[in-house]
Amino acid sequence: MSSSLASPSSSVPRGAAVGRLSLRLHRFRLLDASGVLVLAIVAIGWAVPLIWAMAVSVHSPDEPITASNLWWGSKPTLSNYAQAFQIAPFAQYYVNTILIVAGILVVQLVTISLAGYAFARYPFRGQNLLFFLILLQLMVPSSALIVPNYSTIRQLHLFDTLVAVMLPYFGSAFGVFLMRQTFKTVPRDLDDAARVDGANWLQTLWHVYIPPARPAMVAFALSSISFHWNDFLWPLVVTNSTNSRPLTVGLAVFTQLGEIGAQWPLVTAGTLIVVGPLLILFLVFQRQFIESFLHSGLK
Amino acid sequence: MIAEQWRRLLAASATAVLAATLSACGGSAATAAPSAVALTFYYPVAVPGPITQLIDGYISKFEQQNPGITVKPVLSGGYPDTLTKIETTIKGGGTPPDVAVMLSTDLYSLVDSNAIQPLDSQIAAAGGNNYLNGFYPAFLANSRYQGHVWSLPFQRSTPVLYYNRDMFQAAGLDPTKGPANYQEMVADAQKLTKPDGSTWGIEISSDGIPYWLFQSFVIGNGANVVGSAPNQVSFDTPQVVSALQDFADLSAKYHVMPSGILQWANMPNDFVAGKAAMIWHSSGSLANILKQAKFNVGVSYTVGEQGFGAPTGGGNLYMLKGIPADHQAAAWKFIQFMSSNDIQADWSMHTGYIAASPAAYQTAAMKAYLAKTPQASVAPDGIEYAKAELAAHDNAQVQKFLGDAVQAVLTGKSDPSSALRSAQQQATQLLSAFKN
Repeated sequence: MSSSLASPSSSVPRGAAVGRLSLRLHRFRLLDASGVLVLAIVAIGWAVPLIWAMAVSVHSPDEPITASNLWWGSKPTLSNYAQAFQIAPFAQYYVNTILIVAGILVVQLVTISLAGYAFARYPFRGQNLLFFLILLQLMVPSSALIVPNYSTIRQLHLFDTLVAVMLPYFGSAFGVFLMRQTFKTVPRDLDDAARVDGANWLQTLWHVYIPPARPAMVAFALSSISFHWNDFLWPLVVTNSTNSRPLTVGLAVFTQLGEIGAQWPLVTAGTLIVVGPLLILFLVFQRQFIESFLHSGLK
Repeated sequence: MIAEQWRRLLAASATAVLAATLSACGGSAATAAPSAVALTFYYPVAVPGPITQLIDGYISKFEQQNPGITVKPVLSGGYPDTLTKIETTIKGGGTPPDVAVMLSTDLYSLVDSNAIQPLDSQIAAAGGNNYLNGFYPAFLANSRYQGHVWSLPFQRSTPVLYYNRDMFQAAGLDPTKGPANYQEMVADAQKLTKPDGSTWGIEISSDGIPYWLFQSFVIGNGANVVGSAPNQVSFDTPQVVSALQDFADLSAKYHVMPSGILQWANMPNDFVAGKAAMIWHSSGSLANILKQAKFNVGVSYTVGEQGFGAPTGGGNLYMLKGIPADHQAAAWKFIQFMSSNDIQADWSMHTGYIAASPAAYQTAAMKAYLAKTPQASVAPDGIEYAKAELAAHDNAQVQKFLGDAVQAVLTGKSDPSSALRSAQQQATQLLSAFKN
């Protein structure tokens, strides 16, 4: 990609801003007009529910939502947010969700790099069978494991703790697979060189294998964070107290209103409270995320 | 440099995990007071509002009246989540909650999975039939099985007919009462439907739990889809077939209702927006409809060919099996308290559920509320027209068979008699595995 960009930027006057502009123009040309149109439609399709949710979340709860009054209504108000915060202890739930998501991710990164390293570089008897079994775990829906997992948590006396929510996810079949594939692309020679320099296995992993695997780790982290941020049934089953429950359980108070019609303003306010931080996280780190995906894909 | 960052990140997260563990342990240790009976109470949420605060308030009142008993309320998601949580606990060998609110129609599934215990001895001690007679009989219709009483009503509702009084007036109809039977409802709807499509005479939802509103047609025809035992259903009798024909005729023959499957969640919105002059919906939607409607709202009963008729709906209080004897006594006190007149009156005023007993409507607080909101007295006055909601073994599946038949007819894929006959066959086959 960089080689194709080199010629136009060299033909225009120097200067960072102008260079960037020409770069953008060039990219625009790369995608022809119809491509842009398709992308725009897809992007708008993705954005509309979110934008609608934002608009409706300030719709007055006393005003019906009609075809002619589909957005924020005649008197926008923040009262839905106030009511949402009053209905559920979201502050505590935020803390819990962040601890759960971060706790799971940190342990996962340790376990998947160690396991991936072993599978990639340490041949042992039964390796293929073991790896096959780990992959097989990807096929088991997590809802089928709720009862045995609950039983384990109960016997460990961890019921109703944050650790109980995290524990079943400390290992990740997908993560092990991803790290194994990534580590296998690291040239053997680098490994050998590190050994010759006197590095032990942990130092070799740390200095030789982890750095080129970082894009893959970021990609894995993204999928892990968004999955555990949204997980509902397992935390609901294994916790009873506000102290150990995540945001999604708080959101259930708004979304489980089966008896009566949907309270869209309240539901959207609650939803935005829950997804907001994730959304901001992605917007802030958008560039890093996309780059890491590109890198891990190019390897 | 980068290694340093990683190390710091690891250290920070290890501390966080440790802190989380410690705080969680501290939390569970602090709640257990010595010599007190500590009950656990699971409840689902199905209506909006500060439900958790209301429940917390009732519990602190109960704890004041009953020193030595503490109750830990646990929000357990929706009705299906509550069932999953309890079944997981039992299958995983854990301690179930002492008391839980679950659908009244979950009765047979709960008995089949050996999850609940009957309340007979406690009811006998509280006055037996005299005590039970205090409740609306319809709300106990899904409580009896094998000669036992298994649950008491807590958050109950029925479908009602909401109508736009201003539109009734404008169309030359009597705005003080709704239609008395199906024929009147069709005639009213024909006058209310505007030819330009801006207003439909009536909207009746057929998604989510289609069997529920359909039961209103059937009960209004003088029949029901519930069988004489929980391993039987009655889906293909002539009254049921003609009820489904009536439902489909509203759009196909009389053109007073939009065709296709109407969304349950959208009905109140269509009504308050003036898109529908009448809707059938849960009695629990009243508060929200009154809050949003800019016109006079009338409330009446759902109808069939022979007059008013409706199924009951909602959740009951159950006592779980396998809890210690001292917990059983305390749990019964709590069940009695939660179904008592004062609590039921307060719960009804704040949520829109119908209180469990006529006496709750005689409390001072409720009388003051009804003076301000006369529409709220319509649903309890109509309980006499209410019959049991569809319940059987393997209930979710049986309800789905009937719901699928209703939807197949409303979308024009089948005719009432063959759709219902096949639903009956499916249900009979499924239920043949159960002895009674």
